[in-house]
Amino acid sequence: MLMTLIRRELLDNLMTFRFAAAVFITLLLVVANTVVLLKDYEQRLTAYNTATQESHQELREQKVYSRYAMDLIVHRPPNPLSIFNLGLDKQVGNEIAVYHAFVPTVWDAVKHGANNPFLNLFTSIDIVLVFQGVLSLLALIFAYDALAGERERGTLRLVLTHPIQRGYILFAKYISAMLCLLVPLLISLLLSIILLTISTTISLSADDFLRIGGIVLTSLLYVSLFYLIGMCISALTRRTSTALMLCMFVWGVLVLVYPNLILTAVDIVPQPNTQISAYHQIKQMWEELNREKKQFLRNDTVLGPLSRDGESWGFRLKGSEYSFLRDADKPSTLLYFYQSGFYAGKIKAESEPHVSLVQNYYGFYNRETVNTVERTWLVRKPALEVIYVQPANLGRMLLRFSPVGLYDAATEAWAGTDLEGIQDFFSTVQRYRRAVVDYFYDEKIFESRQWFAADEGTADWDALPQFSFQRSDTGINAKRALPDMLLLLTMNVILFTVIVLIFIKSEV
Amino acid sequence: MIWHIAKRELSNNLNSLRFALATVLLLGLMLTNAIVHLREHPERVQRYRERVSGHQNHITAHASNGLYDLAQEGPGNLYKKPSDLRFCAEGGETFMSDRAQAGYHRWSTDTLKSFWILAYPSATPNRDNVRPEVTKVDWGFIIGYVLSLVALLFTFDSISGERERGTLRLTLSNAIPRHTVLIGKFLGAFISVSIPFILAVLVNLLVISTSSGVHLDAEAWGRLGIIFFVAVLYTCLFLALGMLVSARVQRSAVSLVILLLVWVVLVVFMPSTLASIAGRSTSSGPTYDFSERSWKLHEELSSDYYSRHYKEPEGSTKRIEIDGAYVTKDAEQQEQLHAERLNRRIAEVNRARAITRISPVTIVQNLLESFAGTGFERHLQFLENVQTYVREFRTFIIDTDDADSESLHIFGVRTGMSQKPVNPDAVPKFEDTLNLSQDFDTAATELLLLTLFVLVLLSGAYLAFVRVEV
Repeated sequence: MLMTLIRRELLDNLMTFRFAAAVFITLLLVVANTVVLLKDYEQRLTAYNTATQESHQELREQKVYSRYAMDLIVHRPPNPLSIFNLGLDKQVGNEIAVYHAFVPTVWDAVKHGANNPFLNLFTSIDIVLVFQGVLSLLALIFAYDALAGERERGTLRLVLTHPIQRGYILFAKYISAMLCLLVPLLISLLLSIILLTISTTISLSADDFLRIGGIVLTSLLYVSLFYLIGMCISALTRRTSTALMLCMFVWGVLVLVYPNLILTAVDIVPQPNTQISAYHQIKQMWEELNREKKQFLRNDTVLGPLSRDGESWGFRLKGSEYSFLRDADKPSTLLYFYQSGFYAGKIKAESEPHVSLVQNYYGFYNRETVNTVERTWLVRKPALEVIYVQPANLGRMLLRFSPVGLYDAATEAWAGTDLEGIQDFFSTVQRYRRAVVDYFYDEKIFESRQWFAADEGTADWDALPQFSFQRSDTGINAKRALPDMLLLLTMNVILFTVIVLIFIKSEV
Repeated sequence: MIWHIAKRELSNNLNSLRFALATVLLLGLMLTNAIVHLREHPERVQRYRERVSGHQNHITAHASNGLYDLAQEGPGNLYKKPSDLRFCAEGGETFMSDRAQAGYHRWSTDTLKSFWILAYPSATPNRDNVRPEVTKVDWGFIIGYVLSLVALLFTFDSISGERERGTLRLTLSNAIPRHTVLIGKFLGAFISVSIPFILAVLVNLLVISTSSGVHLDAEAWGRLGIIFFVAVLYTCLFLALGMLVSARVQRSAVSLVILLLVWVVLVVFMPSTLASIAGRSTSSGPTYDFSERSWKLHEELSSDYYSRHYKEPEGSTKRIEIDGAYVTKDAEQQEQLHAERLNRRIAEVNRARAITRISPVTIVQNLLESFAGTGFERHLQFLENVQTYVREFRTFIIDTDDADSESLHIFGVRTGMSQKPVNPDAVPKFEDTLNLSQDFDTAATELLLLTLFVLVLLSGAYLAFVRVEV
């Protein structure tokens, strides 16, 4: 009996204008956007490859280790799944320097490659955004007359004369409509995946297909939720046009108005006190380091007089060619550091006795710098959390009151373009920085002659630990997406129960 | 007779659920918009005032140090005046810098300092920001998205609904020409949509204008009037679209389905898809090129300079001339480079904007932006103001130097320029202005395009209704 009902509903739905329109529009939008997104991804990938190569080359042009800050740069590859949900992939920086004088975070990264800042004026779009708008609308369009329509035509009375439980009728309607909605979803996804596989630049691994599967599953939950919302309205109203109109208002509020309204209305501003106090603390630590350095130079009877106001500037070594400064002072992201160094091509014999002293000085100073950075990081990390991460999480929290927010968050997590996915990259960079510093300690590079002079052997960049980044396991993506998916599922179940209750009690 | 039909439509609509829902929705959005504006705008104005006085102090301070100092330092940062009507259209202002850097310095040697150039910093508001991104709820959003949806919801059954109920046959059996019926229905729907919208706009303006923190002058009210007119025109567009589909389709539910799908494509997806296409098709070269070219130009110039500089004896006029030529030439070249980059970027955006103009919602948002004094057109106006001012400033320096007969008239070096003190009040100061007549020029084509859309759809609706069988 259930099969008969499902078949009837399915035939009813498949032969309608709205089904044809649904398939056509979803296909059109998804394919058009995939082509554009694919081109965009290719551009970003090319930019990434060029930038990586250039950084690689530039590093090898450096002869002394102390210059590595300027050119030991790592790049964040574009995420191929950003085609599905762009998330933060394009927004945050993708080029970050690795240096012992600061711990790299997402806020210290800059953007490389082609850029015209004015192009940010145009909103960008991704496949999840298309689904978000179109599939939810289609689900409502399929649902609005599910019950109200039959009631209007009087066929509901006819069906109920058969000895079938009312729950079965609802279930049959639900299943068949979901099958119909699956068609545009799957066909359009299939087409976009075909486009992706045809393209030579993008390479999807088996894990990526699992992640896409996760996105499809989330989409299904999302569509089903909207279908149930429509059905609920349909069960409550007498006339189909009223039901459809109500559906549209609900859609407008949930998809269009609520997300924009809530984040405009709720002003999430972190306390500026955190920022100011943390910044001052960090600055003080660096000043302390500076004092220690000056103290060290004062105590040194040879180097002390050679330094200018407690600053190294090459220690007047004969043969030192230029000195340089690498510093940053960005109160907004709590970044503060200060390092000076110099480069000597060939140290003359008369300065030779001083070289070991300078080496000793750098050994001391670099060690102290690394220690200071460790201490500032203890302040900086929680402060950044308060200033940037907490407001962002609060914003996402507020968005979750609409299914749109849940859907977006879950698919972002699957694609790995959410904040945590981006942070994965930066934790890898942080580990890499640690590895580089450890390597410098182990090989005694901080106190080596090659730190500043290129005359007795130059820096060996190939021996440096290599940077590599792997996106997180699918399991981790799933774990991050799961809470939101469960919420979607719960809402589905609750709504279905509500509809059954309403329908059982309603008079035909 | 028209009025009779319109009145009937109106009384039908006023009692309906959709009227209540539309009123609540529009009121809520407009109220939020007003409150957010009141929260943010006074701060913005305050910051602008502080910056303007900072700019004036900067000039006064350097003017008192003499002409060379003023000519070398430049007028400092020039700030964009925030529009009082920002609540009408946010215009992506956060993506455009609110200043021009008329005091960008690059190098100094023991004897020479680089002259200032005009540089255009770019705003990167979201690089540090990891928050979810949303559209700001401004009038542009409320009119562009919500009001258009409401207009469709009011007209989808205006003809097909009557046909379903059989009342259309009844109406047409009277001796009324069909166009009268159509116009009457159109007017009725128009007034029913206007009532909640006008109510919401009035509440919004009441909240904003009665607050002490924000001041709207006569010109702003004039601009608001034009914005309201644009909104009305845009609403007519969707009303006409709704009637057109309603006349062609037998059942009202089908009519709404078609309208919604058209709306989603036209309003929600077309602007962003077109923008993505436009944004991708135009790509500027990588940023490396710029700094590399800048460095190379400077390098060439300075190697040429050093080869000639040491041939002349110290303190000779010839040497001062070489020094001066080096400094001024370098500033000229670098400024040229910055201007070229800016122009390339602007050309790209203009191409992209031309493509997105196919969608009516983009047209309306562009129009609202240009009348609210925000957005890209306004940014171009600001840049023009800046360039005019910079020319004025440079002319002032030259004129002041010319007026001093003791000066060597060699720019770029302290000893080559007038040593007399400069009157700080005589130095031109920068004040950004918004100009309505200029806005109107840029908006005229868009306004025409929108009117054309409305006329085409209205005549389409008329033709469809005349030919329809009841």
